Amino acid sequence: MDWKWTSFVYAIVAFLILYWLLNRYAFKPLFSIMEQRRQMVLEQMNAAENSRKEASAEMEAQKQALAQARQEANEIIEKARITSTKQADGIVDTARAEAARLKEEAVRDIESEKNKAIASLRSEVGSLSVAIASKIVEKQIDEKSQEQIVERYLKEVSSK
Amino acid sequence: MHKFPIYTWNGIDFDLSAIIAITISAILTFVLARLLTRKLSVANPSKTQNFMEWAVDFVHSTIASTMPLNRVRPFLGLGLTLILFIFISNLLGLPFGIVTYVHEPMLGITADDIAHGHAELAWWKSPTADLSVTSGLALIVFLLVHFLGMKQNTKHYFQHYFKPYPIFFPLNIIETIAKPVTLALRLFANIFAGEVLISTILMLGVIGTPFMIAWQGFSIFVGAIQAFLFTILTMVYISQAAIHDDDGAH
Repeated sequence: MDWKWTSFVYAIVAFLILYWLLNRYAFKPLFSIMEQRRQMVLEQMNAAENSRKEASAEMEAQKQALAQARQEANEIIEKARITSTKQADGIVDTARAEAARLKEEAVRDIESEKNKAIASLRSEVGSLSVAIASKIVEKQIDEKSQEQIVERYLKEVSSK
Repeated sequence: MHKFPIYTWNGIDFDLSAIIAITISAILTFVLARLLTRKLSVANPSKTQNFMEWAVDFVHSTIASTMPLNRVRPFLGLGLTLILFIFISNLLGLPFGIVTYVHEPMLGITADDIAHGHAELAWWKSPTADLSVTSGLALIVFLLVHFLGMKQNTKHYFQHYFKPYPIFFPLNIIETIAKPVTLALRLFANIFAGEVLISTILMLGVIGTPFMIAWQGFSIFVGAIQAFLFTILTMVYISQAAIHDDDGAH
């Protein structure tokens, strides 16, 4: 068992060749595959993280949209209620005003009819009394009857 | 004890068993890695790809335990090559041995060796059970560590020889040399001892079967531990030399 420099040199050369061959044909492809897998895992994790974020953002947006829709619905209902109340009030007011107006008109009509009736009655009475007076005047008043009238008048005055 | 076949060519000795073992280990490592990384897929990895990815993650975390995480990437290929090659090398000698009997001087067997009739030539062993191989690996690590230290961490690299006081310079030099030496010796000694014990148990014959089972299992464990240790120590040395940490203690 001697130390042989030929074996020594041969071992070194063989090892260096083996190192080169292994690196070239076995390790390099293997390392690149492992690196690719690392990249792939990284990418997939990033993608998963992104989609998770997107999903939660989407969720948030949906929630907000829902809340907004609900709020809008409430507002619409509220508005409708207010509008309907206002409209009802308006209708009642209008009806009331109309009723008041009709009543007033009726009263006025009655008044004017009454006045008209009074006026016509008065003119009727005037013309009638003129007619009566003229009828009486037309009749010849004699001395005797005139005397009677004066007497009666005097009598009346003296009795008082 | 077995002899190893030595082929002499123009006065240069070649340890055929070591060369065979290194070649087979390297080819096995490459073919295995290639088979396990066939049909790679990002989204739908196969079982073998999962296993390789587990191995990559394991080595990655091992290296990351010695240096900052952002510096790990350039050494990942080295760490994987080291741990795979050394682990397969450590296991290579375990399952069987190829021994030939030589009756006449050849392949480094001298006349003295066959004085008792024949010599045994072991053709099959773990490459890491040969000090030449482990020292080769250690030299690669040594050169890499000091190259990276000088290139990436120049100021602190040269300063650290005089830390904490200039008088520590000889100690630091010894430490610097001891690192690759222990790296080589530790790996070699563990695997070599394992194989020596296997050949010793073999001498027991049938009685040795339970010991053999136990020791084979333990040798697999040791092989894994030593491969891991070599890798992590390499990374620790690189980290110490090349990566300056403001509150690092070295």
